[in-house]
Amino acid sequence: MSELTDIPQRPAAAGFGAGYLAGIRDVVVLELKQRLRSRGWYIMLAIWFILTGLVTWLTWASWNAQREAQRAYSNFMPPDTGPGSMIFEVVLAFVLLFALLVAPALSANAVNGDRAGGTLAILQVTLLRPGQILWGKFFAAWAAALAFLVASTPFLIIGVALGGMTPGHVLVALLMLAVEVGVVCAIGVGISALAGRPLFSIVVTYLAVAGLVFGSLIAFGLGTGLSQGTIMANQAQYRNYEQLRPVPDETVAEEPAYTCSGPLRAQPTVRTERVAWMLAMNPYVVVADAIPYTVRVNSGFGMSSPVGAIESISQGARYAMAGPEGTYPCANGEAKPQYLAQSTPLWPLGLGLQLLLAGLLMWLGWRSLRTPAHRLARGTRIA
Amino acid sequence: MTENWDQIGIPARPESPRRDGISASAVSRRFGQVHAVEHMDFHAPAGRVTALIGPNGAGKTTLLLMLASLLAPDSGTITVDGLDPQHHSAEVRKRIGWMPDTLGVWESLTAREILTQIARFYQLPKAGIPQRVTAMLERVRLSDLADQPARVLSRGQQQRLSLARALIHDPSVLLLDEPASGLDPGSRVELRVTLRQLAAEGKSIVVSSHVLSELDEIADAAVFVNQGKTVRHQTTDEASASGRRYAISATDGTALAAKLTELGLAFRVEDGRRPAVSLVLLNDDDAARLLRDLVLAGVGVSSFAPASGALEETYMNLEGERR
Repeated sequence: MSELTDIPQRPAAAGFGAGYLAGIRDVVVLELKQRLRSRGWYIMLAIWFILTGLVTWLTWASWNAQREAQRAYSNFMPPDTGPGSMIFEVVLAFVLLFALLVAPALSANAVNGDRAGGTLAILQVTLLRPGQILWGKFFAAWAAALAFLVASTPFLIIGVALGGMTPGHVLVALLMLAVEVGVVCAIGVGISALAGRPLFSIVVTYLAVAGLVFGSLIAFGLGTGLSQGTIMANQAQYRNYEQLRPVPDETVAEEPAYTCSGPLRAQPTVRTERVAWMLAMNPYVVVADAIPYTVRVNSGFGMSSPVGAIESISQGARYAMAGPEGTYPCANGEAKPQYLAQSTPLWPLGLGLQLLLAGLLMWLGWRSLRTPAHRLARGTRIA
Repeated sequence: MTENWDQIGIPARPESPRRDGISASAVSRRFGQVHAVEHMDFHAPAGRVTALIGPNGAGKTTLLLMLASLLAPDSGTITVDGLDPQHHSAEVRKRIGWMPDTLGVWESLTAREILTQIARFYQLPKAGIPQRVTAMLERVRLSDLADQPARVLSRGQQQRLSLARALIHDPSVLLLDEPASGLDPGSRVELRVTLRQLAAEGKSIVVSSHVLSELDEIADAAVFVNQGKTVRHQTTDEASASGRRYAISATDGTALAAKLTELGLAFRVEDGRRPAVSLVLLNDDDAARLLRDLVLAGVGVSSFAPASGALEETYMNLEGERR
């Protein structure tokens, strides 16, 4: 929970620290009691478990089938890494997709649903402070959503068990999934405090999630079109391709496959670093970029390329973030590494922006919960 | 229902300097273009039941929301035991019990759980909560249903639960928005007794209702509001002193009419189900005298009773003035 403590609306906490937390806990208890008694939640959880299991099994089966086919029709044998990485990636992508779909449903009617049921004013008239109500609703929604992640943990662990991955991957992946779900829950709770009707706030929250997942891609794509620029670069002299051969020496991999010479000239290019922050806000980018992967060594063909979806997403985003300064061949007369090291992570920026958005919505929601209320949204009754 | 109306005495109440009830002076509140409440004055003293009476949309609920410290007035001041809700919201909320017109129960929770949660939200000492909850459930006769989910409670039972919820922290001011709606006659009588008891304990009680005959028997005073304004403030004693209408029916209507004419009393013939006449009598003595005169004159009086409650009389008169 520490990743959310910097959301700006936390009221001046001095004086009522313990009492404030106790109030939040009481609201969480009230919320969770209701959620645990609704059958729909269990049904969704069961469907979730079965679906994730099915996806895991199908991924494993298709990997096996592919392997059989390769064995039968060619002599080519890919490096035997086991299906772990693939299952892990597919399950992770699937779990993140469904978490992003489930979290708004669990959070986006938290406040205005109570308002419609007439129970919000009953809370507001007690000694509870608006922040306690809002945080309580948020943590309850988050806890309910985390149950879905817990249900999918076995399948992520299967990915490890089948080889190729370490427990660390599962831990980091689960942690980042939990944080992403938390961000969506905070957005949902914030919007539900602002919007009058539950249906409206749920739709808006889904749109916000769609904005993060697809909108960030579209915005990045459109943004790059507007980010034309130039870069000073000279000529790249590529090495003789005949020399390319499997190089067992690992140090060679870090060396670029070309040398730079000649005068620097302005070359047209796209300054992707100006719009890469939009890409960074994508939940998939945040999760993929946070998961550690070993810096790829020369894969045996002189060229190193990312392996697997997670790594590709992460590398692609970092490539965009680095911009031509870091990626254009011979920019400023320097050879650039083909592969961007993990030392420049992108996810803190993306997560920071997401937290900023969630924090802003929570703060606006908090404002709308203050009593005695001065302004009411059009058409809403307080009780 | 109205026979015993004058038997309600004002109970002796403990005088406490900190308990001076709840009052609003010149409060206004607008919602967009709608002036829900305009310069409304209201006072509900401690130890009394004050009725808030007015037609639908008169601003009763808006006023109660402001009194409950949920809604801030655009102008004017509200004080609860001398405290301003804007600046001492925690102190004020400890003193206010609010029962909204919407029921608002958490349906999957049991009555006991709801009251326990609310007690926690009021930060009552943890050790005392179970006893307090049990006592409240007994007070509203929900002990048998205490461990049933609230969704199985009937409307009247939910209403009683709502009252228990408003009372859980022993507030000094009780705001009840339409508490009698949906209650069966037995529960209404019970509510009346409960409210009189609470007033006797020195609480200041505000009841908004349409059921005026009901209020006659509960309320010590009434504030009439209409179109966002305080129209009249009167005690129920004053209301009855201004006379009330009696309905009389007799086996022989013409004899009754003749006798009333002979006595020089203005009356009107009611077009109800049974032939009857009605007339305004100033007080109970007048009523007793008229009944004796009629009986002595040989008029076969079959019924002789107040036609309406005292507050209803005022209310209808106000309605009349408005037209």
